[in-house]
Amino acid sequence: MKPAAFTYERPDTLSAALEMLAECTDDARILAGGQSLVPMMNTRLARPDRLIDINRVPDLDYIRREGDQIRIGALARHADVKQSDVVRDALPLINEAYEWIAHGAVRNRGTLCGNLCHADPASEMPAIMQVLGATFVAQSQEGRREIPADAFFTGLYETALKPTEILVEVRVPVMAPNQSWGFHEVSMRKGDFAWVLVACVVTWEGSVVSSARLTAAGIADRALRLHNVENAVAGQALTPALCETAGATARQTVDPSHDAVTSAEYRRDLIGTLVNRALSDAAGRASHS
Amino acid sequence: MDKVSISVSVNGRTRRADVPPRLLLSDFIRHTLALPGTHVGCEHGVCGACNVIVDGRAVRSCLMFAVQADGCELTTVEGLGSADGLHPIQQAFWEEHGLQCGFCTPGMLMAAHELLQGNPDPTDEEIREAISGNLCRCTGYTHIIEAIRSAAAKLREASVDTVRPAAAA
Amino acid sequence: MSSHLDSNVIPPSRQREAPGNGTKWIGKSIKRVEDPRFLAGKGKYIDDYTVPNMAQAATVRSPHAHARIKSIDTAKAKALPGVIGVFTGQDIATVVDPCPSFASPPVPQNACAIERVRHVGEVVAAVVAEDRYIAEDAADLVEVEYEMLPPNVDIEASAAATGDAILHPEARDSNVALDESFSFGPVEDDFARADHVVRRRLRWGRASAQAIETAGCLSEFDPVSGGFTIHCNTNFYNFIPFVIAGSLRVSPTQLKMMPIMTGGSFGSKVFIHKIIILTSALARLTNQPVKYIEDREEHFTNSDSHGSDRLYDAELALTRDGEMLSFRFDVMDDYGAYLQFGVGTHGNAMAQVTGPYKIGSFAMRVMAVLTNKCQQGPYRGFGSEVTNWVIERMVDAAAKELGIDPVELRLKNMIQPDEFPYMIPTGNIYDSGNFQEVYRQAAELIDYDAWKAKAATMRSEGRCVGVGIATCQERSVYGPTEWWFLNNVETPGFTLTSTPEGISLRIDPTGKVFVTLNSVFVGNSPETVVTQVLAEQLTVDPADIVVGYADTHSGFNGVGPQGSRFTAMVAGACVSASIKVKDKLKTFASHLLEANPADLELRDAKVGVKGSDKEVAIADIAIQANFFRLNFPDTPEFDSGLETTAVYDHPISAEPAPDRSHLGIFYPMVGHICHIAVVEVDPATGKVEILDYAAVHDNGTIVNPKTLGGQVFGGTANGIGSTLTEEFVYDENGQFTNANFAEFALPSVHEMPANLKLGHVETPSPYTEYGIKGGGEGGRLGAPSALSSAIDDALQAYGIETKSLPVRPVKLRGMIREAEMRDAAE
Repeated sequence: MKPAAFTYERPDTLSAALEMLAECTDDARILAGGQSLVPMMNTRLARPDRLIDINRVPDLDYIRREGDQIRIGALARHADVKQSDVVRDALPLINEAYEWIAHGAVRNRGTLCGNLCHADPASEMPAIMQVLGATFVAQSQEGRREIPADAFFTGLYETALKPTEILVEVRVPVMAPNQSWGFHEVSMRKGDFAWVLVACVVTWEGSVVSSARLTAAGIADRALRLHNVENAVAGQALTPALCETAGATARQTVDPSHDAVTSAEYRRDLIGTLVNRALSDAAGRASHS
Repeated sequence: MDKVSISVSVNGRTRRADVPPRLLLSDFIRHTLALPGTHVGCEHGVCGACNVIVDGRAVRSCLMFAVQADGCELTTVEGLGSADGLHPIQQAFWEEHGLQCGFCTPGMLMAAHELLQGNPDPTDEEIREAISGNLCRCTGYTHIIEAIRSAAAKLREASVDTVRPAAAA
Repeated sequence: MSSHLDSNVIPPSRQREAPGNGTKWIGKSIKRVEDPRFLAGKGKYIDDYTVPNMAQAATVRSPHAHARIKSIDTAKAKALPGVIGVFTGQDIATVVDPCPSFASPPVPQNACAIERVRHVGEVVAAVVAEDRYIAEDAADLVEVEYEMLPPNVDIEASAAATGDAILHPEARDSNVALDESFSFGPVEDDFARADHVVRRRLRWGRASAQAIETAGCLSEFDPVSGGFTIHCNTNFYNFIPFVIAGSLRVSPTQLKMMPIMTGGSFGSKVFIHKIIILTSALARLTNQPVKYIEDREEHFTNSDSHGSDRLYDAELALTRDGEMLSFRFDVMDDYGAYLQFGVGTHGNAMAQVTGPYKIGSFAMRVMAVLTNKCQQGPYRGFGSEVTNWVIERMVDAAAKELGIDPVELRLKNMIQPDEFPYMIPTGNIYDSGNFQEVYRQAAELIDYDAWKAKAATMRSEGRCVGVGIATCQERSVYGPTEWWFLNNVETPGFTLTSTPEGISLRIDPTGKVFVTLNSVFVGNSPETVVTQVLAEQLTVDPADIVVGYADTHSGFNGVGPQGSRFTAMVAGACVSASIKVKDKLKTFASHLLEANPADLELRDAKVGVKGSDKEVAIADIAIQANFFRLNFPDTPEFDSGLETTAVYDHPISAEPAPDRSHLGIFYPMVGHICHIAVVEVDPATGKVEILDYAAVHDNGTIVNPKTLGGQVFGGTANGIGSTLTEEFVYDENGQFTNANFAEFALPSVHEMPANLKLGHVETPSPYTEYGIKGGGEGGRLGAPSALSSAIDDALQAYGIETKSLPVRPVKLRGMIREAEMRDAAE
C-alpha cells in the first residue's frame, strides 16, 4: 500500500500555487491536510501526477468573524475549527457535528476546506455547509468567484471547482437568534463515515417554522437538500407529529443506492428516523420553547 | 523521480536526508531514520499505530509525506523515554498492563501524550475520546484507560513538565 | 451398563506441584517482564529486521473470485528500473512444491496461483524490487488475462455446485471437501424419549482476528548449506520447519527459524506457511534476501486466517421439566477456497460441545464446503466460540419454549462440583469446575436480579433494554488429535499426538538464572509466566531471571502460544527443569554444607539444611559449580555447570477410539465463564449499546491476575466485535467489499462498555502444575452468547431472536422492520 510516484511542488505564496495550477498540463492535486487524498493514493485509487502542497502558503490558516459571517481559510485544520470559540458561539451546529468527524490525529492535520473539496458522499461537512447556506470562495489566476454550497457538490468526489481553482475560503452565515438546529448521524463507530446523517436549520417566526433547511448525506452520490421536507414543515408548528410526518416524507423522497455492506432499505429507514430526530431537536432548541 | 533534500528535527536531533516525494513519513521514520518504534498497521489512516507528534500535534505518519515534514519538529516513541528511563506515561502503561502485543502501543502513547499535554486531569470520557482513533486488538482498552488515568496522576503529582524539548514547538 | 465411553480411560494425574501451597510469586500481579522494550519502541517485530542486500516483494492479486488465468505478461514490469524479478505461479513452482495441507485428502494449494484463481486477492504473480514502492509499481504493470468462471459465494449453493463452478476439479468433482457424521451415545433413544425438541437454524458469519500487525517474512537462501534462514512472525516457529520443508524441497534441519516478537496473533499467525513458502521461493529465485510484509489489504484478502463461517441446523432434546437429554446438529462450514487444517476447528469444538450441561448424547454431521473466498484459519476460539454460541442459543430457545427461566434451566442441568472429572459424550473430560459459583459471582457483580427488574421497568416505558446471560466452557491446553480425528477413519492423514513444550535453564556463575524458550511472544506473557514460576521454584528474585528465545537450530521442542496452552505447558517445563537443577544445586550444596542432599531445601535464594540455619546462597554455589571443579570430589555428579533442559508433555491426553465412537481426551483443562450483559437497542437504527457487563472466569490457579484480566478484557472486546460490528462482506460476485479498516469495524474504545466488571473464581486443575488452566480465549467464547441473549430480551416486544451473527445494525434493523410490518398487518 504505497502511493504511485508524483511530482511535488511546495509554493510559498498563493499566487505561485495558482500559477503552478494554471500551467501544469498533467493531473495536479492540491495537498492540504491530505487526510482523504493520501489514503486514496496509498491504495492507488488516486494517482495524481503532481501534488501542489499549499501547507506553507501564508494567510490561509484562519477562522474569524466578519460581520455576520464566519470565514474559514483553506488551511484551517479541523481541530482548530472544532475548538474555535468563534465557531462554537456562532455556529453551534458545526461544533456538535465535529463530535462525529474522524478522530483527533486526523482532525489535527485535515482541513475543513480540503474535506469539502474531497466531496465524499458520506462526509459530514458538505451537508453542514449546505444547510447553513455557506458560500465557497474559489480562486484562480483569473480572480475570485463565489459558489453557493448548494452548487458546489456536483457528484461523487466531484465539485464545481475548475482545475485551475483553489478553494481558499468558506463563508458561513452566523446563525440568527430565531434559528435553531439539529444534527443526527448513524455510523458503525463514532468517527466513521456516516451511513446516513441529517442536518437541519429551522428559522422561526414565533412558534411557527418560517423556513427550514435540511440536508442529508449517505443516501446519494453527494449530500442533498431535502426540499420536500423543507416545504412540508414551512409555516407550521413543529409538533412531534409533524416531525414524524416529515421523517416519513423524507423516507419516501430519497432513493438510496444498495450496497453489500448496508442496504438501501436500511438507509431509507435511517433517513426517516434522523429527519424526525433532527427536527425534534431543532424544535427543542428553539428560543421560544 | 527527483529526490528532495529535507531536514527534520527528530526527538531533538536534526536529521537530513534526500527522499523521493512519495516516501511516506511513516516509512521515512522507520526505514530511513531507523526508528522502528513507530508502527504501521493499516496505511490508510484508520488504526493510529503510526501516530507521531509533528510540531506539537499527534498526526498519522502514514498520511503525510516525508517531504512535508521538512523543517518540522517530530517526536516519536523513541523520544518519549527509553527502556531504562521510561516517561511517566510509559511507566503507567507498564504498571497498569496497558499493552499486550505492543504493536498499537507507540500510537497510544503519542495520543496519551498529546492529551495530557493539554489536559492534565482528563475525565475517563476525555481519555476515551483521545484514544478513539487508535485501534487495539489485545486489551479491550480497559487497562489503557487505567494507564492514562494513572499517568495523569503521576504527572500532576510530580509536577513534571510533560513537554519534552523535542515536542515543545 | 456399558457405554461408548468405557474404553476411554482417564490416566492418573502426573501433577507434581499441588495448588494452594502458599505460593509467593504465582498469583501475584507482577509487572510484565516483556514490557519496557515495547514501551520504548524497541520491540523488534518482523518489519524491523533488515539484512544486507535485502530486496522487497509485492504481489499481483486476483481481482476476480473465480477465473482461469489465460496469460500473464510480465515484460513491462520486468523493464521497470529497480525491479529484480517478476515471477508467476509457474516460475515459483520451479523452486517450491505446493503448500502443506492437513486436510485428508489434501486440497491442493500453491503459494502463488497456477492456471486458476479461486478468490479475490489470491496471488497470481510476485515482484521483487529494490523497495516496496517500486515493487508495487511493477505489480501494477503486470498484465493478466482471465477467463471468468462461476463464483461460489453461498455455502449451500456451493455444496450443490457442478461443472465449471467446481473449485478443484482435478481433485474432486464437488465443492464438498469433507462430509462426515458422528454419533456419541444413545442419541436416537434420547430423542425418542424426549418430551420436547427445540430446533433452530443458526448462522455464524465470517471475520478474522486482524491483529494490528500483519503477517510477514524475511527469507535468506544459503547456497552453501542449501537451506534458508527465516524470520517470520508465525506462532509456530519451532514446529513449522517440519511442515513446510517438503514444500521448500529441503530437510527441516535446513530451515533456521528465528524467534521474533509478534504484534498480535489471536490465532491468525499460527501457521502462515504460505507467506514463508512464497518469500523463500522469491529469495531462491533472485538469490538474495527477500522481505515480504502483507499490507492490510493483502492481510484481509489473502491471509490464511479467516474465521468460522457456519450454518447450523441444531436440535436439543429435553424432558418437559427441562432436563437436557441429547444434542445434535448438521453443520456446513464455508472454508473458502482451500482447506489447510482440515476441519480442526470442528474437532476443537468437540471438546465442550455440550457446554456446562449434563447432556448424555451428541451427534453431528459436518460438511466442509469450498467457496470462492479466502481460506479459513484460526481465530481466538478456533471454532469453539461458535458451538458455545450455538448451545447457549439452544438453551435460551428451550427456556422460552418450555416457559422456564433461562438461569433456572442452566442451573438445573449444570454439572455439579463433585462430579469432576466429568466425561462428556465425545470423550473429552472437564477436569474440574464450580460452574455454580462462577454464575453466583457474576450475578452478584452486576446485581443480576436488580437489572432484570430495572430492564423490565424500562421496557414498560417503551425502551428496548434487556439482560442476557451466558454460561460457557473454556477448554484449554489442546491436544493435536483435534486436527485429524474427524477425518475419514481410513485416511485420517497426519495423526499427530504430541504437543511438547521445552525450556533450557542455566544458572550462571553469578547466580543469575538464564532461561531459553522455544515459543514466541505474540502479545501473551511468556517471559513473565516463566519468571514467576521459576522464582517460585528456585526461591530467587524475579530480577535475577533472564528469559530469551532459541532459534530452531539452537533450541528444541516447542509448540507455541495457541489453544490456550502455553502458560500451563511452560509451567510444567519450568517445574521439570527446576527439579533437575535443584537436585544439582543440592548435590553441590551437600558437599559445601557437609549435609545429606535429602536434608536440604531451597529458601530465599539459598540452599539450607531443613530445620537448621546452615545454608549457602545459590550464587555462592553457582560460582563454585561453574569455576571451581577441584573443590569437589572427582565424581561425575560434580561435573561443572548448573544447567538443564526439560520438555513437558501434555499432562493428560488419550487417543480417539479407532471407530470414533469417542474422540479420546484432547482438551481436558476446562475453565468456565459466565458473562452477563445489559444492552439497549435503538429499534429505529438497530444500534446496540452495552449498558453494563460482567465477566467472571474460572481459569484454575491464576499465575498473574493482571495479565489474565487483560486476556479477558481483550477477548471480550473481540467477542463484542464478532457479535455487533465485524463481518466480512462478500457480494454475489465474490467481491470482498469491506476489506479495509474503515469499513470492517474493529471495536474502538467507544464500542466497549465503560464499566466492564471482572471477576475470577479459582478451581485448580488436578492435572497441571499448580492447577493452572489456560485463559487466552475466554472473552470471545462468552460474549457473543451473552449479547445475543440480551438483545433478544431487549427486543422481546418484537419477538425477535438473534439467530445469525454478527447482528450489525443493518441486520438488526431489518429484523425489527419485518416485525413491525408483521404487527402492522395483524
